[in-house]
Amino acid sequence: MENHHASEMDGVVAEYLNMCIESKHNDLCKKEKDSKDSADADRLCNIEKAYSTVLSELGEDVDREGLLRTPLRAAKAMQFLTKGYKETTQDILNDAIFDENHDEMVIVKDIDLFSLCEHHLVPFFGKAHIAYLPNKKVVGLSKLARIVEIYSRRLQVQERLTKQIASAISEALEPAGVAVVIEAVHMCMVMRGVQKMNASTVTSVMLGSFHDDPKTRKEFLALTMRK
Amino acid sequence: MEHSKQTQYSSNEKKDTGDGGSVLNGHFDGMVKRPAGGTVRASAPQPLGAECGSHRSAASVMESWREERTRSVEDNEMSLPSLAAAYTTILRGLGEDPQRQGLLKTPWRAATAMQFFTKGYQEKIIDVLNDAIFDEDHDEMVIVKDIDMFSMCEHHLVPIFGRVHIGYLPNKRVLGLSKLARIVEIYSRRLQVQERLTKQIAVAITEALQPTGVGVVIEATHMCMVMRGVQKMNSKTVTSTMLGVFREDPKTRDEFLTLIRS
Repeated sequence: MENHHASEMDGVVAEYLNMCIESKHNDLCKKEKDSKDSADADRLCNIEKAYSTVLSELGEDVDREGLLRTPLRAAKAMQFLTKGYKETTQDILNDAIFDENHDEMVIVKDIDLFSLCEHHLVPFFGKAHIAYLPNKKVVGLSKLARIVEIYSRRLQVQERLTKQIASAISEALEPAGVAVVIEAVHMCMVMRGVQKMNASTVTSVMLGSFHDDPKTRKEFLALTMRK
Repeated sequence: MEHSKQTQYSSNEKKDTGDGGSVLNGHFDGMVKRPAGGTVRASAPQPLGAECGSHRSAASVMESWREERTRSVEDNEMSLPSLAAAYTTILRGLGEDPQRQGLLKTPWRAATAMQFFTKGYQEKIIDVLNDAIFDEDHDEMVIVKDIDMFSMCEHHLVPIFGRVHIGYLPNKRVLGLSKLARIVEIYSRRLQVQERLTKQIAVAITEALQPTGVGVVIEATHMCMVMRGVQKMNSKTVTSTMLGVFREDPKTRDEFLTLIRS
């Protein structure tokens, strides 16, 4: 059923792209092609045309001043918000792992996090708290925040995001334990649907000694969840 | 220029574009600075339809009451497939796989969500207010504050959210309190610019009640500034519109601003 919809959609996409304000967009897209990698430019162009369709289908006037460059801005914004797809942990971590004889808990908390709900394409945002117990190797502190950035700037589900961050740290450092807690507000619940303004979602992943030893976990939670 | 702006509807030609004045998503040319004054308009105002109520004189015809809905529930259903197709294109363009389990129905969900975020286009002030205006001999300030507001930035299609504080000085007529919040909903559930949103709310209340004065303050966070671009987490944008005695009398304005802070 879903696949039928998908192939129908493909046909409709082709049709609508032809019906859109083609010439205007072709001019704009051409300029981009000259200066960028052409595959990237093609993709941007397609997203831009899709947003133009979205605007007109919502009943807006795409020629009014405020909306003239909105398809391009929205396309670029969306690309920024999903830039995590192009980044890997290897790129950012490789040179910031240090040998250090430290085996006490290291916590970086209140890392602001912004992601996109993969179900509604609407933002969710909050804070991430990360802790690890080093096993002879420590990592530059900002790299923990960068790992959060890589995985959060994607179409995500909060549970998966938490797990991906924990796994990435685990693989890179092989520590004695990793804990990640994310507390976020989902606009898809606040702005639409059930419309609960104050609800927030908390997910956590505990690996290694954080999982096995309740005292370690308790220490982490006491240090991070303190208001 | 004015006439080209009237083509604000999608393929559905059957809708009446209404009068000759350009009411563009509630955004009109020329600023209304006084409550009951007429707007400066090149074309003469059309006679009111029956729906606007016979108690309004032609001289005080106001723009927001003549706004036509640019969309209907049927339009929504008809646009859904093409909106979903557009979202599938977007997903592919971003490098995602629209066939994976989590994304299979996302185009439809995102399309419906976007229609919900712009449902203000389906609604008219008159539908919401018609029977909740009451004659009351009250001429002290009425304030409804901390109204949660959610809108969409028209430049980046990213959410804006915050709070709206509304105050007015009635002139023999008061409005059902929730109707102030409903006016906020109609105008905020659109592709907006915060300045315009503030003004539209103030003007709509002015036109509905002809009060002695209206004040609207909006304090909002723009995700386009927080999630991308300059990425300033704690920044807030505050806009205000003061009409009538709120504009002219500093003491009234002070009272309003003090009461909304407390």
